[in-house]
Amino acid sequence: MAFLQWVESLGFSTWVRESGSIWSYPMILFLHTVGLGFLVGPSVAIGLRLLGVGKKLPLGPMSRLYPIMWIGFWINAASGFILLMADATTKLINWDFYVKLVFIAAAIWTQQSLRKRVFAGREVRNHALASSTARVLALVMLLCWMGSITAGRLMAYLGPVSGAPNLTNKF
Amino acid sequence: MIRYVDLFAKWLKDIGLQGFIDHYGWIIPGSQAVHFFGLALLFGVIGLLDLRMMGFLKGLPIRPLTRLIPLAMGGFGVNVVTGFILFAGAPNMFSHNMAFQWKMAFIAVAGVNALVFLVSGLQRRCEELGPNDDVPAGAKVVAAVSMTMWVGVMFWGRMLPFLGNAF
Repeated sequence: MAFLQWVESLGFSTWVRESGSIWSYPMILFLHTVGLGFLVGPSVAIGLRLLGVGKKLPLGPMSRLYPIMWIGFWINAASGFILLMADATTKLINWDFYVKLVFIAAAIWTQQSLRKRVFAGREVRNHALASSTARVLALVMLLCWMGSITAGRLMAYLGPVSGAPNLTNKF
Repeated sequence: MIRYVDLFAKWLKDIGLQGFIDHYGWIIPGSQAVHFFGLALLFGVIGLLDLRMMGFLKGLPIRPLTRLIPLAMGGFGVNVVTGFILFAGAPNMFSHNMAFQWKMAFIAVAGVNALVFLVSGLQRRCEELGPNDDVPAGAKVVAAVSMTMWVGVMFWGRMLPFLGNAF
């Protein structure tokens, strides 16, 4: 806890949390949303395609979405890290945050195993249907993204209240 | 315009919708979470199409991508419904909020842009192209406007509590 207090009291953390500048907390939160769009958006497209939506889309070129998704992932890892620094004593002891992390880890794991199984293998030449294993993985991935988004949003409602004094983070 | 938004806000209160939403504490957080599901679906499909038309992701044929547009509209529909619920839960926080007005304006421009893509025949021309073909310059402009508008919608949505005056 002393460590978390130290992290939270750093000049940078305090600036993010309390400066009121549009470039601090609001912009970092915006980047976290953009990262979500670029990570989960294409991931949902891949997941739905594997589940049979838009069967005429060839799977092969869809593997090119992976670098875009990784850009989204790193935007969110960085912006998320900063948001955690700013509210270390509250967010890092919030159980809901760890639920979110587990969902993200599971989503990324399924996403990567789909990359190996579908996009690096023979299945990519099959333009119609993905194997049943791939379909199960795609469904798990979609559910994990829904779980991580929900857990992430609920961090504003569950557990200890975080954020700057007078700041409502419920939006 | 603002007058009508105010009347609408008052009407929502009068019919008891605001009271109903207040009564069940999970409605607002639940709608917020689902608003992000809609975002991912809409942006996942439209962003993919935009990136392809802007020249990234060559190799993807355009026709199957435009066939996914109804899915994006589904995502948009989810967000109209959840957005309406969020508005109805606290109308006074939105009705005079500059960020909310910009968000609505950006959505309108994105809508007109999509309509232009359809009625100008650009969409049909793009659909006839092969997987590695460049789209016409007009379609590239449409894609760039679309991308800018939807990222802008996320920006104004995220700025609602910060740039506005009512939160």
